[in-house]
Amino acid sequence: MKQRFISSVQIILQLALTTVGLTGQSYPGKPQIIRCRSLEKETFSCWWKPGSDGGLPNNYTLFYSKDSRSRAVIVPLYSALVRPHQNPVCSSGSLTARKTLRCWSMSREGQLNWGRVWSMIQPDAPVNLSLETNKSANLSYLWAKWSPPPLSDASSNSHVYHYELRLKPEEKEEWETVSVGMQTHYEVSSLQAGVKYVVQVRCMLDLGEWSEWSSEKSIQIPRERLPPEKPIIIKCRSPEKETFTCWWKPALDGGLSTSHTLLYSKEGEEKVYECPDYKTAGPNSCYFDKKHTSFWTIYNITVRATNEMGSNVSDPHYVDVTYIVQPDPPVNITLELKKSIKRKPYLVLTWSPPPLADVRSGWLTLEYELRLKPEEGEEWETIFVGQQTQCKMFSLNPGKRYIVQIHCKPDHHGLWSEWSPEMYIEIPTDFRVKDMVVWIIVGVLSSLICLIMSWIMIMKGYRMMAFILPPVPGPKIKGIDTHLLETGKSEELLSALGCHGFPPTSDCEELLIEYLEVEDSEDQQLMPSHGTPSKNTKIILKETDSDSGRGSCDSPSLLPVKSRESRSLPSTLQTQDVRAKEKKGGKGSRETQCKASEQKTLPWHSESIKSCTWLAAQLPSNQAAMFAYHSTVEAFKITLNATNVNTSPVLVGNEENRQSLYPIAETVYDDVEKISEMEYSKTDPTTVQVRQNEHNDKSPFLNPKLMDYVEVHKVRQDEEPTLLLKHKENSGKTKKCTLPGISKEYTKVSTVVDHQILVLLPDQRTQNTPVSQEPVAETSQNPQQSQAEKNTSYSTTAPSDSRGDTSGSDYMDPSSFMPSFK
Amino acid sequence: GLLLVALLVSHMLLTKEGVTSLPICPNGPVNCQLSLEELFDRAVKLSHYIHFLSSEMFNEFDERYAQGRGFIAKAVNSCHTASLTTPEDKEQAQQIHHEDLLNLILGVLRSWNDPLIHLASEVQRIKEAPETILWKAVEIEEQNKRLLEGMEKIVGRVHSGEVENEIYTPWDGLPSLQLADEDSRLFAFYNLLHCLRRDSHKIDNYLKLLKCRLIHDNNC
Repeated sequence: MKQRFISSVQIILQLALTTVGLTGQSYPGKPQIIRCRSLEKETFSCWWKPGSDGGLPNNYTLFYSKDSRSRAVIVPLYSALVRPHQNPVCSSGSLTARKTLRCWSMSREGQLNWGRVWSMIQPDAPVNLSLETNKSANLSYLWAKWSPPPLSDASSNSHVYHYELRLKPEEKEEWETVSVGMQTHYEVSSLQAGVKYVVQVRCMLDLGEWSEWSSEKSIQIPRERLPPEKPIIIKCRSPEKETFTCWWKPALDGGLSTSHTLLYSKEGEEKVYECPDYKTAGPNSCYFDKKHTSFWTIYNITVRATNEMGSNVSDPHYVDVTYIVQPDPPVNITLELKKSIKRKPYLVLTWSPPPLADVRSGWLTLEYELRLKPEEGEEWETIFVGQQTQCKMFSLNPGKRYIVQIHCKPDHHGLWSEWSPEMYIEIPTDFRVKDMVVWIIVGVLSSLICLIMSWIMIMKGYRMMAFILPPVPGPKIKGIDTHLLETGKSEELLSALGCHGFPPTSDCEELLIEYLEVEDSEDQQLMPSHGTPSKNTKIILKETDSDSGRGSCDSPSLLPVKSRESRSLPSTLQTQDVRAKEKKGGKGSRETQCKASEQKTLPWHSESIKSCTWLAAQLPSNQAAMFAYHSTVEAFKITLNATNVNTSPVLVGNEENRQSLYPIAETVYDDVEKISEMEYSKTDPTTVQVRQNEHNDKSPFLNPKLMDYVEVHKVRQDEEPTLLLKHKENSGKTKKCTLPGISKEYTKVSTVVDHQILVLLPDQRTQNTPVSQEPVAETSQNPQQSQAEKNTSYSTTAPSDSRGDTSGSDYMDPSSFMPSFK
Repeated sequence: GLLLVALLVSHMLLTKEGVTSLPICPNGPVNCQLSLEELFDRAVKLSHYIHFLSSEMFNEFDERYAQGRGFIAKAVNSCHTASLTTPEDKEQAQQIHHEDLLNLILGVLRSWNDPLIHLASEVQRIKEAPETILWKAVEIEEQNKRLLEGMEKIVGRVHSGEVENEIYTPWDGLPSLQLADEDSRLFAFYNLLHCLRRDSHKIDNYLKLLKCRLIHDNNC
């Protein structure tokens, strides 16, 4: 009974499930009432969700009571065997209005306060939706019709529904919802033409909820018929300054076929013309051939679009063809790599103007611009080249691939053409790069070698240093081969010197003289160092060490000899001696070296002896030139041996005084004697003579020099006439020697001469010093100037002995020999 | 002398033209005659320069004063030289006899003598006229005279017969340049500059055409 269905009545349902538990099975779970719904306010249905069934089929029973307060009435409304997972439908019978339903189960209660009844009411969706379009007064309408939802109960047709309709264009998301009311049709206006719409409807009873939306229906709204919009003239362009073309964008035509017409009028003419040629330049364009193209004339161009509904005209376009020239891109582009004189490649670009452009007549003048970039580069380098049709590019990076493009433009106005198609050119790698690589490799290798070398140097250190950087030799006579000296053949030496005849020629003498001069200057420097009192032989040794490298051993005499010579002989001789020492002086102890050299190098000794003999013998007798020559040549190379030999006699002298000081020297001396004996057979007669001298006195060469010294010494102190005579002889000889030598010191000698005798010069120094010092010191100082170690030894060793006796006796002999040499 | 100076100036400004050198008369001024080619070279450079200036000036003016005023539509058919029938396309230009074309050039140049003088003076009265426009007006006026001189030389050299009577069209646009109404006055300037640009380009184009025809035998 519809009337009795009171919306305000609260119906309480309790769904009680009787679950028949079978043996061993669990109880069923608690069922849940999902919803109850009334379609038409007369009946309603409830749906529930079964609980867990415990693995068994369950019986569900819906109980309801109509009165929430009185629970007395329990009406089994529906009972059915419900299979698991089935949603049972419990459709009640007709409800009596005044009663409130209440249901509960026997065992467990699931109680649901369902609320007011009307909330349960929800009709089904409307059906039979149909759409139509209608047109009235040039406007489109949408006509929608539908039917109310069908009911199983035919008697319930009288229900009144409210309807809603929603629609949208097919492609859109948002719906537009329209409330329709009670009627089952609707007319929609203000639709867009040509759009397809989608429509749905739904319904609702006077109370309750909206039904679902009905199924979609769609309909296409037909287009409208309108006159076209304005066409738009895009541009006009003349490719060669002779013809031109205009393009336009066609108007929107609303689906109707529209025709376009181009109309133009020229400056100075009233008449309006139509486009002469729509076809040549393609659709939506107009081509003006030469006849229709004027320059320095403004064209007023319009385009009219027309369809059956009407026409529309574009905005006017004013064109002076002079200013709209846009040529085609240049053609015949060639890229050529050439190499300049410096072998650096450069790029020669040539091109031709576009074929349409008549550049030759001068009607059109084109200017060009090219651009290029490395293939992977980002930015173009643009170069304006003016009217020329070629270009040389110099500063290109070798090894890169370049892209080149060219475009052109009329000289004053107009637009740049499109860029020509890309041209590629690969710049070959520069040869210089290869060279650079080579140089880098070389540099790395050399640095590696240097590193290794330095490493070796560090490892071997001292020796390597000595090996790589031998002691710097003193000034040598040009062209002398040290190996020749070592072999000791005087002739070869001489030839090496350029003196082919053994007897020295004038040339050789000159050479020697020059050499000597050089030595002099150095001697002066050396003299003071020597002049400083040297008390021990050790000092001498040091000196020799320091002097090492100087080449000439003129005098075979050793340190003492030098010292004496320094006084007695001209400074040149002294220096030579010093050099001899120097060469002699190795890094080790000099004496030991002497030994070794003596024993091992016999020829050397012989020569050295020769030289020494030469010196000794000839100094007094021979002319200065000769002396100088010998001293330089022979003594020079023989230095080591000579020094050895010289030392030995000196040492001998020492032995006489004290043997303890130079034991080694003694042995050396002995060896020297032997050697000298051995060699004498080979040597020249002069040497033989010398040898004799040597045998007679242990220090034959020394003797003359020593004699000089002694003489000086004596001259100073004793001033005996005999000595003076000898001294004169020596001095005279020395003069001769020195004169060519031109030593400044020697000039001082001349002053000494004033006292009594020429030789006094070296004495002066000695005199001066001894005067101030003690007599003992004087004696020591006499040798002092020329490394007087051995002299000192003399003085110290034989203070008791009368010098005149011991030393004088020794020296006297050589002096006596001297004349014999002559 | 002045022409020479002008040419020098133009040469400096138009380095892209790349003149190799300006030959100095070896035999003194008496026997000194520039060849026709040299005359044309200079004339072309000068006309190129003048058109360059006038074009720049027009653009500056257009940007500054004519935006949105629709001057271009009004400027149609209002150049005072329009009465001189000049070739309007390549064919016409090639068909016309070179002497006639030269005379036409002379006519156009002469026709501009007057307006250029007034333009140079009146343009200074434009409100806030930029210096570049003022300078160009003066410069064009001077250069136009020099070009006229040069063209008379060329015409004198080329013409076989009598020199035609001087043709030129008078210009009566001075009052329009002095109009009180600013819009009208600006349009008058606009139109004058527009015509100047057109005619200077015409002259430049004709001269380049003539140069190629007379000097290079249509093989530029």
